[in-house]
Amino acid sequence: MDVSALLGAVAAMPLASPSFPPGPYRYSNRESLIVTYRTDPAALERAVPEPLACDEALVRCEFMCMDSSTGFGRYSGAAQLIQVALGDTKGAYTHNMFLDVHPPISGGRELWGFPQKLAAPGLRVAHDTLLGTLDYGPERVATASMGYKHVSLPDTEAMRMLNEPGYLLKIIPHVDGTPRICELVRYARRDIVLRGAWSGPAALELHPHALAPLCDLPVREVVSAVHLIADFTLALGEVVYDYLA
Amino acid sequence: MKAAEVRKRAFSMPLHSPAYPPGPYRFVNREYLIITYRTDRAALERVVPRPLEIVEPIVKYEFIRMPDSTGFGDYTESGQVIPVRFGQETGGYVHAMFLDDDPPIAGGRELWGFPKKLASPSLRVAHDTLLGTLDFGPVRIATGSMGYKHRALPQQDAQRALGEPGFLLKVIPHVDGTPRICELVRFRLGEVTVKGAWSGPAALELHPHALAPVSELPVREVLSGVHLIADLTLNLGEVAHDYLAG
Repeated sequence: MDVSALLGAVAAMPLASPSFPPGPYRYSNRESLIVTYRTDPAALERAVPEPLACDEALVRCEFMCMDSSTGFGRYSGAAQLIQVALGDTKGAYTHNMFLDVHPPISGGRELWGFPQKLAAPGLRVAHDTLLGTLDYGPERVATASMGYKHVSLPDTEAMRMLNEPGYLLKIIPHVDGTPRICELVRYARRDIVLRGAWSGPAALELHPHALAPLCDLPVREVVSAVHLIADFTLALGEVVYDYLA
Repeated sequence: MKAAEVRKRAFSMPLHSPAYPPGPYRFVNREYLIITYRTDRAALERVVPRPLEIVEPIVKYEFIRMPDSTGFGDYTESGQVIPVRFGQETGGYVHAMFLDDDPPIAGGRELWGFPKKLASPSLRVAHDTLLGTLDFGPVRIATGSMGYKHRALPQQDAQRALGEPGFLLKVIPHVDGTPRICELVRFRLGEVTVKGAWSGPAALELHPHALAPVSELPVREVLSGVHLIADLTLNLGEVAHDYLAG
């Protein structure tokens, strides 16, 4: 393949069959269980990179089911997000994230900088309970439960959460092991269609694991839980801070 | 966390629990089944990036067991390597790789540019046969078989096979979707100790799959089967050509 054809074709590795296609990345009927909890401020100080700041010690543990997504297929995820602010703009910084399918892991890491690892997350209805679980290898590392559709949540409250920008720390090494990319990235959800939103009683338990350290942000008090179903497009990002500049 | 500390600690995502540790990446008892076959030159012309050149219309189909590797754990890999020339140098261009373990997939892609995807490869002894298989999701896409330890291979042949450089096309996009890194990377294996090498009768069958197109380099004739066991270090790489420069 000559060089001009290569530069026209190149989107991701492998050249002959990229592990993820170009966007737009549209999600339909994306369902999530989000448990917000209070943790130790000192743990957040260690976890949140400057210039992000956190005023309240609040963390969201989210379990999600991506029923239909363009290019990435059908998959499940679990993530730990920290409520942060960049200047006056509030948002959510993704601290840990786990998925069960490879295209969105490679695309998530290499395109945006989502800190994704391969594991076995799940979100399902167990009779009266909306149940979110995360297994890393053979070990359970998180279990969240919520009463199923107990209280309807106002649309404005759900849309406020879905409209918040997300922040990521994108790191890619050079082939000699030195840092090549080290950037704070902001992304947003676009063209959101809310399909349903509920709140209810919730519980969350985290377990220690060497390679899935969710417990580093310990659960001190469960503050709230929401169950959301929505369609949206995951937009590409923008660099808001370059650590190597 | 202070910005200076982020910069100092930056190696891999997530910052506080990297998906793969820094090297060196040492492999103990790495076991290979390598089936060399003849394919169509036109098929290779479509996939080998310039300035690499095709030597002969040959592909090496590999199944590799890595039971003990520093930082990456215990895993298996399968894929296609194309013998190429870069100027006066000969080596192997890694065309496609499939693994069953996330840290070497993430580290392989992000550090070196190995073209890795997640799948289910295996390499095992089935009575008289050394058997390599590759499933992508629920579908079988490659089966390689070889008579188990039929003929010893001279040590120097094995040492030479592992001594050649490898070439990779490292591609990483910018956050806006434009190309950020597009480089031809050269890497080498170091501190190679061959613990065993054999040849024998071999067969290979490839099946079509939309996302794992191993059969687009079709098998026209099986040329050889080699079984190797070695300890080695996978060294970091160097940029041989930058497609985005100038």
